[in-house]
Amino acid sequence: MLKKLWAQLLGTRIGRSVFRVGLPASNLQRAQVAISSFLLHMQPAKVHQRTLKFSTTLGLGLITLYLFFILIITGVLLMFYYVPSTDLAYQSMKDLEFVVTAGMVLRNMHRWAAHLMVIFVMLHMCRVFYTGAYKQPREFNWVIGVILFILTLALSFTGYLLPWDQLAFWAITVGSSIAGYAPIVGEKIKFILLGGHTVGQAALLRFYVLHVVLLPGAALVLIGIHLWRVRKDGGLARPGEPAFTQEELPATALPTTKSYGLMELAHGTTPAVGVEPDDEVFTWPNLIFREILVFMLVVVLLLVLAIFWNAPLEEFANPVHPPNPAKAPWYFLGLQELVSYSALWGGVIVPALIVVALVALPYLDRRRAGIGVWFSRERKVALSIFSICLVTMIVLTIIGSVFRGPNWSFQVPWKPNIVAEER
Amino acid sequence: MNSMSGANSNRRDFFQLVLGWGAALFAFCASLAGAARFMIPNVLYEPNQRCKLLKPEEYEEGATFIAESRLFLVRKGNTFRAVSGVCTHLGCTVLRNSKGNGFHCPCHGSQFNENAVVTGGPAPRPLPWYLVELSRDGRLVVNAAHVVAADKYLVV
Repeated sequence: MLKKLWAQLLGTRIGRSVFRVGLPASNLQRAQVAISSFLLHMQPAKVHQRTLKFSTTLGLGLITLYLFFILIITGVLLMFYYVPSTDLAYQSMKDLEFVVTAGMVLRNMHRWAAHLMVIFVMLHMCRVFYTGAYKQPREFNWVIGVILFILTLALSFTGYLLPWDQLAFWAITVGSSIAGYAPIVGEKIKFILLGGHTVGQAALLRFYVLHVVLLPGAALVLIGIHLWRVRKDGGLARPGEPAFTQEELPATALPTTKSYGLMELAHGTTPAVGVEPDDEVFTWPNLIFREILVFMLVVVLLLVLAIFWNAPLEEFANPVHPPNPAKAPWYFLGLQELVSYSALWGGVIVPALIVVALVALPYLDRRRAGIGVWFSRERKVALSIFSICLVTMIVLTIIGSVFRGPNWSFQVPWKPNIVAEER
Repeated sequence: MNSMSGANSNRRDFFQLVLGWGAALFAFCASLAGAARFMIPNVLYEPNQRCKLLKPEEYEEGATFIAESRLFLVRKGNTFRAVSGVCTHLGCTVLRNSKGNGFHCPCHGSQFNENAVVTGGPAPRPLPWYLVELSRDGRLVVNAAHVVAADKYLVV
């Protein structure tokens, strides 16, 4: 019934002007749907069957993308009420929680989606590493992914300050002081980031502009390039895919008239090169259906989180009274644990090494072994090094999160240390 | 350009490189520098570095926390000193020790003795001591822009 109505609507002159193809009935139309739609043409008309298998990617990148979209939508809605001023920011948070209809749910969704996005970006990176999917010709897309990872952390960190409560104020005070430890330029960077010496009105406004315009804009552009390159680099990595070749076509080989088609110019690895047509299925409806399903699951999960768990809001920011202990956001607690031994190591050297190692990874690990295979036995060394670093960071993060009590003293989570308030 | 004779083409290449690309590069760098300088504020709306306190006799023996300037005024008999309350590690506000003979930071557990020298924890430097003066109307003035040695007192 609904399908019939929809088909009728698409059959009208207006419907055809918008959708061109309508609901596809033949394979030709299934291809046309993917090619002629702006949103759908991000995907090829046909994809390899492996792409549809859940175990290939676990849907991690897709979930990250959906979380980003949800963050933009909820974030723009929150902007209608939020005022980036030290006097009014906290009031607007209270308004959102108690006065604005659905304000609480939207803020919760934004908060939990932000945390989830950080988690899923990390999981996505682990998936790409453990399936060897960053190897040639996908090296540069991995680098873009690393930049997107940093942007995600920056987005989350700048958003952390905006509620202007104790949690926000001290997390940013601690976090931005870490930047001050960078040699030579550290103090200058901190000063420009905060627009002053301490976290105040200038810092709040700067973080706000970064959070709502600059960083999301940069992320959006890079996400576009990231997805585009997935296609251009031959779709998802799979074992036995044809080796990457960059054929240089001599200029004389081109026809002298402009009547040649694009296929005469495009060479190299494309999803269709060297594959039996039998291994491929139409994107519509196979892939589209699964993508919509994942989207619905993500929205349901977020709604459940947002309805049953409220985002934290502590008391109004108080620059003279840090909470004991004062902790950075959870994804920086591994670094903060290191910072409690040495600020230079934890705040500058280790994070710089992590970023440099991640960027250099696909250019150092050039063996074409284990592409598209989970935990390939041919990659024992690479897998071990990555896993050791990963486990170390996770252990440090857990220690920083739950094993550190007042005065950053060691405690066991089920028996927290209690220190009397002083002053 | 391939139809040009050698010398002519070289000169043209040279001008194209130096004037064309040079001008483009200069314009780009100048815009970038201007934008970068724009981000450095010329006026800071932050609390005054000089902070006027009460009269000396109004302060008790030992360290008193001055909240608005985040510093401690330390009285010992008729001598006065002022020390920063901002931890040199990551900028948290330090607390007095329960024994009253030093400071500690609640964020990462840095310890400072009564002269604000680091005795434990990750803090890289001692807390700075500030110049304490007496104003004309007999009130204490702390100048946070002026760091002094730990053994410099104001004797009243």
